[in-house]
Order: sequence, then C-alpha cells, then structure tokens
Amino acid sequence: MKRTVALLSLLTMLTATGVTAGCGADTDPAADTVSLLVAGTPDELAAYRALAAEYEKASPGAMVTLIEASSAKDLMTRVSTSIAGNAAPDLFLINYRNFGQFATKGALAPMTARLAASGSLHDKDFYPQAMGAFRWRGEQMCLPQNISSLAVYYNRSLFTKYQVPEPVAGWHWNDMVATAQALTRDAGGQTVKAGEPEAAGVPVAVHGLGVTPELIRLAPLIWSNGGDIVDDPAAPTRLTLDTPAARQVIQDFLELPKIGVVPSDVEVETQDHEARFAAGKVAMFVSSRRVTTAFRAITGFEWDVAPLPQYRSPANILHSDAYCMTKASSRQDAAWRFLEYALSDPGAALMAKTGRTVPSRTSVATSPAFLSPGTSPARSQIFLDTIPALRPVPTISTWPEIEDATGKILENAFYHGDPIDKVIADLDAATRAIFQRGTAAR
Amino acid sequence: MTDGLRLRGVHLSRGAITALRGIDLVVRRGELLVVLGPSGAGKSSLLRAIAGLDPVSGGTVAIGGRDVTALRPGQRNVSMVFQSYSLLPHLTVADNIAFGHRIRGADRRVAAARAAQAAATVGCADLLGRRPHQLSGGERQRVALARVLVREPDVFLLDEPLANLDAALRTRMRTEIRAVHDRLGTTTVYVTHDQSEAMALGDRIAVLRDGRIEQVDTPDEVWHRPRTRYVASFVGGPGMNLLPGVGPLRRPGVEATAVELGVRPEHVTLSSGISPVGPLGEVERVEVLGEDALVHLLVGGHPVIARVPAHTRPTPGDRVSVSVAEEHLHAFDTVTGERIPLPAEAAVR
Amino acid sequence: MNRDRRQLVLMLLPYLIGLVVLVLLPAAATMAMAFTETDLIATSRLIGVANFVELTRDPAVGAAVGNSLSYLMFSVPLRLVIAVGLALLLHRRARGAGTARAAVLLPGAVPELAYGLMWLWLLNPIQGPVNQLLMLGGQGGRTAFGTLPPQWLTDPEDARAGIVLMSLFTIGETFVIVLTARLALPPEAYELAELEGARAGQVLRRVTLPLLAPVLAVLVLRDTLMSLQASFVPTLVVTNGGPPPYATTYLSLVLYQDAFEYLRYGYAAAVAALMLGLTAVAVLIQWRLLRRWASHGVVGVGAQRPGN
Repeated sequence: MKRTVALLSLLTMLTATGVTAGCGADTDPAADTVSLLVAGTPDELAAYRALAAEYEKASPGAMVTLIEASSAKDLMTRVSTSIAGNAAPDLFLINYRNFGQFATKGALAPMTARLAASGSLHDKDFYPQAMGAFRWRGEQMCLPQNISSLAVYYNRSLFTKYQVPEPVAGWHWNDMVATAQALTRDAGGQTVKAGEPEAAGVPVAVHGLGVTPELIRLAPLIWSNGGDIVDDPAAPTRLTLDTPAARQVIQDFLELPKIGVVPSDVEVETQDHEARFAAGKVAMFVSSRRVTTAFRAITGFEWDVAPLPQYRSPANILHSDAYCMTKASSRQDAAWRFLEYALSDPGAALMAKTGRTVPSRTSVATSPAFLSPGTSPARSQIFLDTIPALRPVPTISTWPEIEDATGKILENAFYHGDPIDKVIADLDAATRAIFQRGTAAR
Repeated sequence: MTDGLRLRGVHLSRGAITALRGIDLVVRRGELLVVLGPSGAGKSSLLRAIAGLDPVSGGTVAIGGRDVTALRPGQRNVSMVFQSYSLLPHLTVADNIAFGHRIRGADRRVAAARAAQAAATVGCADLLGRRPHQLSGGERQRVALARVLVREPDVFLLDEPLANLDAALRTRMRTEIRAVHDRLGTTTVYVTHDQSEAMALGDRIAVLRDGRIEQVDTPDEVWHRPRTRYVASFVGGPGMNLLPGVGPLRRPGVEATAVELGVRPEHVTLSSGISPVGPLGEVERVEVLGEDALVHLLVGGHPVIARVPAHTRPTPGDRVSVSVAEEHLHAFDTVTGERIPLPAEAAVR
Repeated sequence: MNRDRRQLVLMLLPYLIGLVVLVLLPAAATMAMAFTETDLIATSRLIGVANFVELTRDPAVGAAVGNSLSYLMFSVPLRLVIAVGLALLLHRRARGAGTARAAVLLPGAVPELAYGLMWLWLLNPIQGPVNQLLMLGGQGGRTAFGTLPPQWLTDPEDARAGIVLMSLFTIGETFVIVLTARLALPPEAYELAELEGARAGQVLRRVTLPLLAPVLAVLVLRDTLMSLQASFVPTLVVTNGGPPPYATTYLSLVLYQDAFEYLRYGYAAAVAALMLGLTAVAVLIQWRLLRRWASHGVVGVGAQRPGN
C-alpha cells in the first residue's frame, strides 16, 4: 500500500509543477475564486469535485479550483514548494500530524476571529478533540474536516461459520489474540498455528489478524495500558518505550507472529492486509475509517467494525485532517466562504457519504449521512463512541520521520523476532537525533 | 610437379549477383600471376573464392594438388593482403605480424622472433614497436606483406595492395614485391586494375571480364597477341585503336561476318609531307606525356590515337597521313570479339 | 572569431542556454542549498557544514553508499556483458534477428514506473511468475532443488539481487550502441582472423573486444554515472528501500525521501552533493585505469582505423 502511494505521489509530482505554475499565472482571478489543494484516493477526489460543484451551484459566481495530490506526502511537497514559489493555494487539507511545520513557520492564516464572527460555523459544532489538534498558541489554525480513529474490521461471516463470539466494547488485547487464534484456520477449517514458510507444516487459509507493526498502531495500546510513547507530548525529546506499561504492550504485540495468528512478511508482500481482508483471507484487520469505502465493494461475505481492544482503560489514536488557509492567500474571504459551505451540514454530509471519513461536525456524524443504516459497517457508532478516548500523537515537526524510522525497526522486530530490549534500545537510538532536530508544534 | 593452384569451373554467386562464371585457371608453383580487370570484373571474388572467404557455388579449388573446396579459410594455408585493411589497429606492428602464429598457439617468443625476421625481409624492422595509426600508407602495406609472408603459406593472395598509395610509392613498392617474390618463390595471385602494374609484375596475366577469364598469358603475349578485342582495348595505355574493317572474311579456318582492325597507338606512324603514305587524318587534340605525346586524330570519321615521340608531334588542326606496318595489324571478329590471325603474324613470328 | 566558429557557437547556443538554465544554475543552487536548512516554508537558514556532518552519522546514508557501491559492482559489469553478448549474437542478418533486437530494446521503452510496477508483480514472492517458475518441479513451495525460492521483497540480499536483476533488462541503449559499433567494424579484420584459422573464442578475444574497447570504455563510464540514479524508481516502486531498515535504500531514494517526504531540502542537497562526489570519484578511478590499460595496449583508446 505504502508503495502504491509513493508511486502515485511521484506520478503526480511530475504534473505538480505544471499545475501550481498554472495557478500562479492566474494573475487576476475573480474575487470569488478559491483554490483548494487536496490529497486522496480517486473516490475521495471525486467527492471533493462534487463538493466544489455543489458549492458553485449554491453560491452563484463562486469558483473552486481543485488541485489534486495523490498522497499526504505529495501534498506536503506541493504545499511547501508552492509557498516557496509564491503560488500557494488558498486552502489545503492536511493531517494534524503534518500540520505542525506549517503552523510553527507562520505559513497559515489563523481562523479564530473568523470563526467567532461567522454566522454559520461555530466552535461548538465540532468535536473538541479534533479542534484541539489544530490549535496553536491559542489560535485555531485550521478547521477539522474529519475525526477518525482505529477500529477492528472483522469478517462477520467467518465468525459465524466458526462460531466465534463477535468482539464487544471493552474487550481486552488478550481477548483479541484468543479470537485470532480461534480464527486462524487451514483449508480444511481446522485451527492451525501460522508460521514462517520454512517451518509451516500446513498452509494457512485464513489468518486471524492483520495488523501492521507501526508506532501509531502501538500508541493507543500503550496509552490504554497507562503508559506514553514520549516524555512530553507537548514538547517531546525522546521515546519512552522502556517504561513497564509500554514494554508490556510491545512485548505482546511482537508475540503475535510467534503465537501464529498473523501473515508472514512474505505473505504480506504477496498480498497486503487490506487486499487479504477483502479476499476473506484474514478475519480481523486493524485500520482506520479510511478502508471503509473500499470494503463496501465486498460482496463475498458480511463484515463489520469493532472497537480497538484495550488494556486498562479505553484509548484510541486521533486521525484527523483539516482545512488550512495559507497566509499568502490573497483571497482569504472567498476561501472562508467556501469553508463555511464545506463544513456546513450539507457540505459535510456530502463528504460523509463517501464513507471514508468520520465527520468532524457532530450534527453530521450522528446523522444517517455517516451512520448509514443498512450499509456496512453496521456498527459505525463505535467511531463516535471512542471519540472521548482519542489522543493525538505528540506534536513535533519531524513526526513523519519518526514514524518512518520506528516503522523500519518494528517491522524487522515483528517479522524476525528481535529481542525486546534491543528493539526498545534501537527505537530510542534511531529517533533521538530526529527529536532533537524537530520543533514542538504547540 | 604439381600445380601451385588450380581452379576448375569455379562459379560464385552472392544472392542475385553472379561474380564468377566458370573460371578455369592454373597457377604454377612459384609463379606470380596477376589478375587484371576493371572494377566489377570479379577479381576480388576470385581471390575470396581461392581463400575460402566466399564459398563457391560450383567447381573446385585445389592448392598444391590438394582439393580445398570444402575447407575453411584457416585450413587452406593461404595468406591475404587487403587493399586497405590488413592490420589490426589495436596491435603493434610486431603483434600484427605475429598474429597468425599466436592464433595457432605458437610461443610468444618464437612468434616474436619470426615476426622480426619477416619484418626484416620487407625492410620494416624498425617499425616493430609502432601501432598502425603511426605508420604511413606505404609502411602499412609493407607490414601487411610481412604479416602474410611470416607464415610461409602455400599461396599469397594480394588484393590491390598498392591501390591506396601514391604513384611514386606504388612503383617502388611493386618492384619490392617482385623482389620479395623472387626471393621466396611462393605461389602468388596478385589482383589489380592497373594494367601497367600487371605488365611490370606478372609472370603471367589473367585478364578478367564479367566473371570470365578472357586470356591467360605472359605480359608479352597479352600485349602482342591479345586474344580478344576486349583484352586489346583494356591492356595498354591507352588501349588498342579499333576500327571497323572489311568483311565478311572467309579463309581456311576463319569465318567472320565482320572484322574489326586493331592497332596499338605505339604502332601508328604519322607523317606530314607531300606524298601521303596512308589515309589522311585530322589532329584534334595532343597530350604530351614527357618523352611521348598522344595524338588524337579523326581518320575517316573514326577516332584514332597515336603515340609519337613528343618532338615529332603535330599541332591540332594539322592534317597528317596515318600509316601502320602490316605486321602490327590485329583483326577481331566483330561478333564474337575473338582474335583472327592475320597472314602477317606468321611472318613476324 | 571567424565564421565557422560563430556558426558553431550559434548552433550550440540553444543547448548551452538549456544547459545553464536547466542544469548548471539549479546544480549551483543545490550546492549552495546544501549549506542551509531549507524546508521551503520558512526562510532558509545558513548552517555551515552541519548537513555534511550529519551525513557522516546518518545510518540511511551509510547504508545507501554501501548499497549504491554494490549495485555499481554487480549491475554495471553484468549489464555490459549481457548487452555485448546480445549485440554480438544479433549483429548478423538472420531469421528473427530483427525481432530479437526489438525485444532487447523493448524493456527500455517501457516507462520506468510501469516497468517498476511490472517487477513488483513479477517478484511477488508467492504469486509472482519468477518464483512460480523457480518452483516448477518443486514441492511444498520449494524449488526443484529443495531450496526455498528467493524472497525478493523480504530478504535483504535477495532484494538487492532483485534490484540488480531489474536493471539487467533495460540495456536497450547500451545494446544499440554496441550493435552499431560492431556493425561498423571492418569485415576485413574478421576475414584476416579467419584466414589465420582463428576460432570463435580467439576472434572474440583478439579481434572483436579489442576493437570495441573504446566504445565499451565509454559505456562503462556512462553506466557508472547513471547507476547512482538508475536504482531510484525500482526502489521507490518495488521495495521502498526495504526490507528494513535499509536493504535497498540507495542514495537517490534517501535524497527523495529527505527532500520530498520530510521537506529537508537543505539536507537532501547535501546528499546530492555526496552523490556527485561519489560519481566523480568512480569516474576518476575508471578513467585512470583505462588510461593505464591504454598505455599498456590492453585497450585501444585513441587508436585509429588504418587505411584511407
């Protein structure tokens, strides 16, 4: 998946210069024209196109120039290069994990005053967890478009077939592991232990669990166990994975391949988790709301979502993207008018219908536009139930690098069984310098 | 004594083009045979057929009594000098000369010694350390010669080796080649389009035309008794004058519907005077070649060239009388091109 | 300035302008950027040689230099051997030679990204045709020899081999150049060797390769220059630098990630400077070697064709 994204980003990079240049050459734009830079999959981009069209229909004379990037990383590149080239888009959509650099470096226009003066948008319309992630030095820098989190997607048909009880709210990590064991089956339907291809006796037909070894997958579990991943979430200087609470979670997580419920690295390279789940070859899959759109095309079996398992208390990780306005924009009023529409009930409902995001606007999140009765997943409500337990990742400008660096080590540890002390020490060693280089974003 | 080289009914065609049409040729052991002909006559094809570079489509090739028709070039024990590319540019002169020995697995030192010896034979011992691009054209062909004779092959094949050299060097080199041949006595086939080179070098000359041999004879014979009208006109500088003669001619052993008369420019005598000894000709142009001059005349509407001592030359516009001694007259059958013996010939002999 | 020179300058001008504007100026800007911290959002800051100091400590850069050198060591000679082999095989007019030539050229005509995606499928450890082929005749997911098939995307050594393997099919350009060079060799050189009874091996060693040597030398230099960049698309598309941490991370990928994923343009510029330096060193070494061989007559650099 990662690769495809990287590839797409490169593809669009080739056209990026052309697009932004064309935008900058637009010297005398109509007063009510606004440019919006977004990233996403084809269906997401289609939703943004629909949103722009609806806005243009609702407010005669208004025009939205949509600039499409293929991935979050590509979007970052394009925002930075276009700001440097004096051709910044008026609005862009960005994940809060990446928003820090733009806020700290003064590239964004604060929205606090506009929000207070607005007749249609109000602070209280949105989930505070999402609003908080985009606040910097007391100013609301961007307005959240969505508020997603991790959930366990599960193949309901398999649960029924093997008479395994479906996950319930408040289930423990160990419950999930046991469930995964019960669902790891060979072609004959017998429970088996998955393993390395060298050691595997019977080929596994269905794996119990699919989960990528990443820091952002571990973080909510560590929080749930009463630990934290960094020393100071507001101004982090190092990882704190050596605490007993974190250590236990990491140990449990790295046990998964030994217990034999997850696909091996070779199997994942052959077919990634998402495709595996869609093919009915993995019973449970930990992911955010974003896979929903793709899974809605599944016809071979029934599926649903369950809450993330926990240790001691409920905890989950915030995924959120927001509309930000560039300071360099000369059409901020027009941009704001577009925002007022995009985040209004009809605008937000339009985006919610893609299924890919959990709306940041409470009224839309609790409406059928999101909960979509009659359409999988039936338990969309769990995304709303977990909101009070959401926590953001630490805010530091070099966070993307930290995710990549820890990802490499965790992937190796997960698939090759490195000793836990070495893993924790390696994670620390690989990230110290990156923390040092970063600047706190709040 | 076996023949040095014998070709029997050799045909050679490449695709749609037929280069050789039934060549019968015997080269005696130790003989230097020059193959003479214009470009396109099949001279190079003949050499390549002997060398085995192009497979013959008919006939046999025998070297020293051994039928080599089916053998690959490397098994025929022949050596060849090409017109322009006889040396490998990445090798020194010494390595180029030693190339054949090295290929055959000779010891490096033995090969080097032989190379030095061969180089001395052709007088290029001082060039051994150089590379081809550091040599002049003459030096290059000298080295090429050393390369072919180092191996002591059964037959030397030389394909216009002097064609790229200037006139003076060409004359000197051909003398040297003749000298080397006289010393080594290797059967040699030498291809050229230059008739003076052919006359000077060859023990015998084979005149080639359109893939066929017109005549094989000593230079003297080729000069004095060209077997065909074509040989007569090709050999000589310029070639024989040919004039439509009388006909038909019927004599014992000769039957020709029409006859052409030939006379070499050297045998045309011009005289200006009150008493004409022959028909009158009008001088059109005069080329002076040092001691001699070529006089271009129109005699009875036919162009005739005469070679006269330069000091006796007429001037353009002069009318002179043209005469030829009877023994210098040649006759050819207009239809077949074959030579017709004249009564005077017997007398000269 | 005489007329010929003026014409020459005029003809070169469009190229020179392009060269200066599109290559030299950006290159100079990049070199300057290497001494700054630049994210293109805030104004950049001069930080002296700090980027270069960090280069020496960056594990990704260390691994990438090693990987790039190993790629160079395997890919460049293998590519050349294959291209020369195919060119010598296909230079004659023969049945199917034209088709075969086109087939050699074809992989190079595929857009790099598509080529990478194709290999992602080819090298798929279980479903990929390459391993399917290797597992023919074997049992239980093993090859006929009872060994496991290469784990192209998960084993570091196999992944590096996979990247080299991918590079071995895009030899069209090299192939065409060698083919042309071979066709330009005088037939007399071969006839000369044939008359001496040289065998195929001797012809190759004593005639063909020495005569092609100047061209081959240029091709080696060119391939070396390009190899540092050539590994980029495959690694981005097929392995993403993995298996972790840095099995197939090459300098070009480090540069791309630092610049376009982490917005560290200054540091990425320092990586670019390192690449340039390494390339220069590699070329210098090769040039020296070639000069030495040439002076010993091993290869014919500077030799001219005789005749005419």
